[in-house]
Amino acid sequence: MAKNATDDDRGLRKSRFAPYGLLSPGVIWLLLFFLVPVVMLFKASLSTKPSRFAEPQFDWDWSNFSSAFSQYGSVFVRSFVFAGVATILAILIGYPLAYWIATQGGRFKNLLIGLVVVPFFTSYLIRTIAWTSLLQDENFIVSFLRIFMGQDFRILATPAAVIGGLTYNFMSFMILPIYVSLEKIDFRLTEAAGDLYGSPWTAFRKVVFPLSLPGVFAGSLLVFIPAAGDYLNNRYLGSPQTSMIGTVVQNKFLVQFDYPQAAALSIVLMVIITVLVLVYSRFMGTEGLAV
Amino acid sequence: MANRVTRRQFMTRTGLALGGIALGPQLLAACSSDSKDSASGGDSGKGSNDIWFDNWTLYIDKPNDELYGKGGTLDEFQKASGLKIKYTEGYNDNNEYFAKIQPLLSKGDPIGPNIIAPTFWMAGRLIGLGWLEKLPLSKIPNAKNLVTSLQKPPSDPTGEYSLPWQSGVAGIAYNQKVTGRELKSMDDLWDPAFKGKIGVLTEMRDTIGLIAMSLGTDLDKPTYQNFQPAFAKLEEEVQNGQIRQFTGNDYVKDLSQGNFAACIGWSGDIVQIQKDNPDIRFAVPESGGTLWYDTMVIPKGAQDLDAVAKWMDYVYDPVNAARITAAVQYIPTVAGVQDELRKMGGDAAALADSQLLFPDATTLANLQSWGNLSESEEQKFDEEFARISGS
Repeated sequence: MAKNATDDDRGLRKSRFAPYGLLSPGVIWLLLFFLVPVVMLFKASLSTKPSRFAEPQFDWDWSNFSSAFSQYGSVFVRSFVFAGVATILAILIGYPLAYWIATQGGRFKNLLIGLVVVPFFTSYLIRTIAWTSLLQDENFIVSFLRIFMGQDFRILATPAAVIGGLTYNFMSFMILPIYVSLEKIDFRLTEAAGDLYGSPWTAFRKVVFPLSLPGVFAGSLLVFIPAAGDYLNNRYLGSPQTSMIGTVVQNKFLVQFDYPQAAALSIVLMVIITVLVLVYSRFMGTEGLAV
Repeated sequence: MANRVTRRQFMTRTGLALGGIALGPQLLAACSSDSKDSASGGDSGKGSNDIWFDNWTLYIDKPNDELYGKGGTLDEFQKASGLKIKYTEGYNDNNEYFAKIQPLLSKGDPIGPNIIAPTFWMAGRLIGLGWLEKLPLSKIPNAKNLVTSLQKPPSDPTGEYSLPWQSGVAGIAYNQKVTGRELKSMDDLWDPAFKGKIGVLTEMRDTIGLIAMSLGTDLDKPTYQNFQPAFAKLEEEVQNGQIRQFTGNDYVKDLSQGNFAACIGWSGDIVQIQKDNPDIRFAVPESGGTLWYDTMVIPKGAQDLDAVAKWMDYVYDPVNAARITAAVQYIPTVAGVQDELRKMGGDAAALADSQLLFPDATTLANLQSWGNLSESEEQKFDEEFARISGS
């Protein structure tokens, strides 16, 4: 029944190289800005430096990887915990907001989604620094909370501040994909659910939520992955006890000039995140995950 | 189906192409000779300016808040010498700046600015690495005005590579309203009443220096062994939550906002904040404060050394140095500034009597400067400090 595919080719007269031509910008971009740097990073991680400011010498030195785990294992764990909590919080806060805009937004949907994006017009750094002003010890927020939590209470320089900063900074990345996948849902399905004696909550649980999962999946990736490697939030909102792997890599690279160790830590971070993402996508089930 | 590319074909061909591209540059590099391409990178950004001075912020006078404002040092220099100077404030942190210039200087390429302002220890490191040009001292007659205490310092024993720009003291900065009392010694910082409200600097030499002095260790011949007790003390106070954060120059904000009851801070900053917030005080700890200075150095490969010499000569004239000091309020490194300030009258004359700018012999006796650290020693210090500060 299907027409022979080559019958359609006459109109476009493609050359043999058309597929390559169309794909080459993307492939070249991936090569130049992903593959080549990762290979260089891998080479650097297997190098040693004869002295602090000399060039690293490539010599298959795997000790950087073993020390990455032994010395910084706890920092890795902390980074993933912070990023995980930030992701969950982002879902808990972002999903209802996206749902409300998608279903109740009406004429103002675009405006409301625009408002979600507007904070991102300011730089990431400025947004984080703004939080230090808001959460300072003598400001109204902390003074108010001190009524309940005692005079020694503070928000800045605690894990809560870092997680809060991470959640806030990546919130838009959660809201937008969820909104997009909710938008695509035909809400007559909920009516159908009602016709089948389902309560609104059941309709949500069994119809709307599963259909919005691709958005939740995409949003979680977009929040978790950068949050795990983040260092700015810890730098401004954290304390020495909340250091994350991004902090360590930054110090290793810029202050210690220990490029091999910094490269090894980065690779370990990439590998662990890849594994976590694969596990997560297995758990979600990958059919129909395209947003 | 001739022009259909199957997935398998695409992956195979792309894989081969990838392999070729990955290996290609290696083959080419192996084949080609190692030609050092001396691009005219030295002038990138300098343009038609004779001098490009990349300095720290808040380190020069700005009439009406303008760098080149009328009557300011830069404006007067350009008028007096006929040279054009580009002044930028891109020097934010020693390590940060070093990371920027290292890739270029390690390959022998010029960096752009022909004067930069590293702190003394960073200047020492650059000298040790051979990345600085010698100063054209024969063309800087005013260099003789350099205060004797800073002549031929440990970080530049021949005195041929650096001329100090400004000097300052690291000590205890505190918010009198929050602490409720005066602070006098490092032990005051460890007072349990201030738990979680103490800040220290990411500048390793100031933080560890002050702690070491409070434990009786001198700074002139530092070794990693000698400083173990200081590191242990710092680690103890970090672990028990006494120290809240390690900050750069932004401690100023935390102090004003009340996040810190007290912290380690720099003298000139405090003098400048006191104008807006009189509760902020500065005290040199009883056990001693650290004396530091920032320098003017010429990176290797820089051009127009004669013009640079004219600038250095200009700012080492006490009259001009006094103008800068009156604005930035750090310790001047040029002799004769105190008298010039008195001649200027008004607020400037009041500065002439400030212990923070012109420490007398008693105060000076309580200040120490760091001796040199070898590259390997410095690495140990930096790594241990990074470990304790949570990076």
